Amino acid sequence: MATLVLALTLTGCTGGGERREVIVTGSTTLLPITEVSGEMYTESHDGIAILVSGMGSSAGIESVSKGSSDIGTSSRELKDAELDLGLEDTPVAYDAIAVIVHPDNPVSDLTTLEVRSIFAGVITNWSEVGGPDLPIGLVNRDEASGTREAFSKIIMDDAQFDHGAVVLPGTGQVRSVIADVRGAIGYISLGFVTDDVKAVAIDGVEPSEATVVSGDYPVQRVLHFFAKDDLSDIARDYIEYVLSPDVQDTIVRDAGFIPITAKEAIGD
Amino acid sequence: MTEPEQTGRGRVNGGLKMMSRATYIREALLKNLFLLCAIVAVAAVALIFVFTTARGWEVVKDPGLAAFLGGTEWSSTLGRFGILPLVVGTLAITLGSLVLGAPLAIGTAVFLSEIASPRMRSIVRPAVEMLAGVPSVVYGFFGLVILRPIAAELTGGMGFGTLTASVILAVMIVPTIATLTEDALGSVPPGIREASYAMGATTWQTIYKVLLPAAKIGIIDATILGMGRAIGETMAVVMVAGNAPQFFKGLGAPIATLTSQIVIDMSYATGTHKTALFGLAIILFLISMGLVALVRALSRLNAKKA
Amino acid sequence: MGKRWTNRIALGVLWLCGLTTVVVLGAVIVYVFIRGIGQITPEFIFTAPHGVNAEGGIGPTIVATIYVTGLAMLIVTPIAVLAAVYLAEYAVQGRLVNTIRFAADTLASVPSIVMGLFGFALFYEVMGLGFSVLSGALALSFLMLPIVMRATEEAIRAVPRFIRWGSYGLGASKWQTVSKIVLPSAMPRILTGLILAMGRAVGETAVVIFTMGQAIYTPISPLDPGRSMTVHLYTLAMEGINMDAAYGTALLLMVMILLFNVSARWLAARNRRLKG
Repeated sequence: MATLVLALTLTGCTGGGERREVIVTGSTTLLPITEVSGEMYTESHDGIAILVSGMGSSAGIESVSKGSSDIGTSSRELKDAELDLGLEDTPVAYDAIAVIVHPDNPVSDLTTLEVRSIFAGVITNWSEVGGPDLPIGLVNRDEASGTREAFSKIIMDDAQFDHGAVVLPGTGQVRSVIADVRGAIGYISLGFVTDDVKAVAIDGVEPSEATVVSGDYPVQRVLHFFAKDDLSDIARDYIEYVLSPDVQDTIVRDAGFIPITAKEAIGD
Repeated sequence: MTEPEQTGRGRVNGGLKMMSRATYIREALLKNLFLLCAIVAVAAVALIFVFTTARGWEVVKDPGLAAFLGGTEWSSTLGRFGILPLVVGTLAITLGSLVLGAPLAIGTAVFLSEIASPRMRSIVRPAVEMLAGVPSVVYGFFGLVILRPIAAELTGGMGFGTLTASVILAVMIVPTIATLTEDALGSVPPGIREASYAMGATTWQTIYKVLLPAAKIGIIDATILGMGRAIGETMAVVMVAGNAPQFFKGLGAPIATLTSQIVIDMSYATGTHKTALFGLAIILFLISMGLVALVRALSRLNAKKA
Repeated sequence: MGKRWTNRIALGVLWLCGLTTVVVLGAVIVYVFIRGIGQITPEFIFTAPHGVNAEGGIGPTIVATIYVTGLAMLIVTPIAVLAAVYLAEYAVQGRLVNTIRFAADTLASVPSIVMGLFGFALFYEVMGLGFSVLSGALALSFLMLPIVMRATEEAIRAVPRFIRWGSYGLGASKWQTVSKIVLPSAMPRILTGLILAMGRAVGETAVVIFTMGQAIYTPISPLDPGRSMTVHLYTLAMEGINMDAAYGTALLLMVMILLFNVSARWLAARNRRLKG
């Protein structure tokens, strides 16, 4: 929910010595990782400040290539035009999206096309996809959501979401509504799936950490840190920190993502 | 209004007293200072109108007044900003909340004014006032966790929509309507009641045939202000209405209002979209100002009658 | 017999109305209390949220709420009180006074989301204050101006006339009368109005979210951003992951507002008793 917010993480009163900064801008999807890891890094490293803001992946890439930030975070790959900007790519996490339904819903497998048709409002009853005669309750995320953006790109592929879908601005709400309503369907980050809901297989592939890391599960994307190779030492140190288990196993998972370290990092 | 000294403009203390020139100047300066403070209220309204309009008036050009006011689709990804579905949504929950809330509020006010013992009054009236103090997010929260599942059972959908929103809003406007109605009933002279009872009427007959008609204008005012409150409510609505900009499809179908759409979209809106949101704000401002003008006009009519 | 039965039924329905109000209020309070009380520890009140899902406490939000409300009251009280003095003591019926009253009524009816957007346009964008306590306080003061004005005006009018006549009779000027006699006499009621206005400000969300922002930060200078308790509750409730913290926040919020309400009421009752 926090998008146009500049999260300033400052150290306490530091005595003499210049304050060294690492400026991190870009995707709001990565904000949970960057804000919290930035805060923790700042706390444990006296005199260094990690300044984080979220203006969008494109803005982040532009800003780092121009030199106005040290690290540009992005929830998408570089476009063709951006490939020769001299940017180094460090993937930091997998963002896999699970399509969830009520645990009692007998449907366990859907094709990409079926999911798209459901969310576009073309398929409106579970009987059309092998389920009971029950109207489908569509739950969508708000347009500011990175999860929606990813889902839209990967599954919807330019098709419009049904206007009549309920729009909820939060993962937990989506999850608890779907856990409660038999005919509901929605999508959340894989890391947030609990036993209250059932994640369906897409095109025959069950969503799990293994299938995400191996690339078999289709509904996923990689989250990136982009930087120039003349990166400052502290910035490199910060990136190392983000790739360390301290961050990968805690913050990244808490944010619903899958650590990039779950397998050796696969670039794109 | 206050003292006999206040006769004409520019006369402080009406010139009845001897005072030094210094005191006269000081008094005049102070009076104008206070006047300035009072005008702040007018300036404030003007500022709100000016800035909101300035930020939002480009909707007249893009997408254009007709497309904006008459458009049937609100979709930022398609670049369409027609407000009709939102207007219908606002109307639906306003109507719903009035249908549920106005009778309850008027009934409570009548209860407080005519029937309650002093002890009951000392319990119920504070309860009404405290109901007004509960923040809208708490009401929305309550609606989300308690009412939505119930509505889902009743309507077969997910429970987001007109039904839940109307119930929550009804509770929220009860204090507004009830307090004002109670005031209106209180200003009916007691003699009228006594005359009615003296003729053998029961309490209910007195209320129904004598008091309510006597306080009619005040009750209408109260209802209009309650309506204004319902139209302008945002946070509680966002949490329970479902936020789907579509036309009314049933009590259990998700819906969006002029207010809820602003909150949902504002955090990421840019360019035309953002301007359109300010356009919504202008509309809301005009509606609320219009309702106030209506109430004032009605009160003036009432005063003329009496 | 017809009218007696109608009477009984009708009165029963009216009783029900009155009771429903009490029951609903009770239900909301009890529910929030039960689900939230487990969260209220000193740690919850004083520490900051950390981690992705706001584990921990809500200290910074409490500070932000109190700060922005206090600042707003500081800004609005002098203007509102003096404006009310004008309306109650100096004003003559006429176009000007009508316009002022219409403006005050309109201000009181402006939906808070419109106030929030306006605050965003003026304080954040045009005046460049950014997301800050100051932006939030300024926006809130617009909201509270008519409330304090109305309460103060009523308080002043409630001061009996003969007190003023006595003062004028002794040769006091208008301002002397107002400042030394009328205002002090009206003060308890004015305070009551102020406390109620503060309770209203604490409960505001839409105004604050677009002016003070959503950053979890303990504001120190008025130009710092912050997240109020209401915004925090909204965010937590919508994200739906840390519902415990949501209930705790809701409870603290309600306690704060209830405290304001109760003290205003107590003040009013004490005033009534003293004045006889």
